[in-house]
Amino acid sequence: MTDPGQPTSDGRQLLSGTIGHLACGADTDELLEQAADGHAGQLTDHQRHCLHCQAALHEFTRIWEPVRNLAAEHVAVPAALKTAVASQIRKLITDVWYTLQLSDSGAIRIAARVVATIARDAARTVPGVRVAFGRSTDIKTAGPAEEATLRHRHPHAAAGVLGRTAAVDLAIAVQYGDQLETVAREVQQRAITELRTRTGLQDVTVNVTIDDVIT
Amino acid sequence: MAADVDDGYLVQRAREGYLDAYGDLVDRHGALAYRVALRLLGNHHDAEDIAQEALVTAWQQLPGFKATSSFSTWLYQIVTRKALNRITRTRATQSLDLLGELSDTGDDPGQHVERDLTVDAVTNAVTALPPPQRIAIVLHHFEGLSNAEIARITASTIPAVRSHLFRGRRTLSQTLEQWR
Repeated sequence: MTDPGQPTSDGRQLLSGTIGHLACGADTDELLEQAADGHAGQLTDHQRHCLHCQAALHEFTRIWEPVRNLAAEHVAVPAALKTAVASQIRKLITDVWYTLQLSDSGAIRIAARVVATIARDAARTVPGVRVAFGRSTDIKTAGPAEEATLRHRHPHAAAGVLGRTAAVDLAIAVQYGDQLETVAREVQQRAITELRTRTGLQDVTVNVTIDDVIT
Repeated sequence: MAADVDDGYLVQRAREGYLDAYGDLVDRHGALAYRVALRLLGNHHDAEDIAQEALVTAWQQLPGFKATSSFSTWLYQIVTRKALNRITRTRATQSLDLLGELSDTGDDPGQHVERDLTVDAVTNAVTALPPPQRIAIVLHHFEGLSNAEIARITASTIPAVRSHLFRGRRTLSQTLEQWR
């Protein structure tokens, strides 16, 4: 039997639920909260003079240590998570395709999102561009266009818009102090050149929107 | 590059159809989704599943996101809701796969085994808690969220969260004390 006048450091007894309060009147749940939150060293005026509270805080800190250690541990995120999410999202959206070749030998197509990525990457090389995102302008019209071409579609063309014209939207955020129009024109030219060179698409439209200025 | 802009900017661009802006949000918050799912469910397989589902759901529901809270708070809501569904549907089983996936700490084998057992004991003790206590413990003690933030995420009240934390901490401590 523990002497009620003596501080206890028996964790099981402190947590048994039959106590609830220490001999000094302190609430054990609140002491456990204090220790679990890592504030066991921040003693109140009462705790500075109370051996019961100090013993309980010490004991609760010891008991909670494995939880704190696990919480502090770095969790490695599976490398495939982002790819898996992107892949699932792609299945949910209507893809647009630019068809470069369509013959009995087969079709050569480029996904509009690839075209948008090329334009975006080109934009990011322009000095003064802090952020750039690309999207296909055709995404909103892909559904109706696909419907319209359904009957005339080449057997090898599973889905998509036929044609060699690419239209891309770029949203960019520019460094404060730079001449906005100059940056935008440079972005437009660089994206068009890159798209023509890398995709073979010749009729290319690039719409640039500056939607933020960053200091 | 996207480090220059806040989540609100990325959310707005993603809503407008800039998929790579959502990719940047996944880069920023994918770890949060996975970490919370792992702590709530206790095994990597379910955690990866739930994190993936939550991030796809967030993208689908982006047009309805009111931005009255931060993107991360909203994602916490989606992950905890999905994890809760998984818990109630499958009554999450104890898993030992944490043991196989811990990083090498450089400790000697004896210390390593002891450390693995401790990790496993804490994981099992957390996943044995009733769901409301488990969510409160994970969000507060593992994610460092305040009681007010947890109340917002779980559509609860601050006193209710506090009560779940008190009971969860007591149960968890009793279990760990018995395990020692």
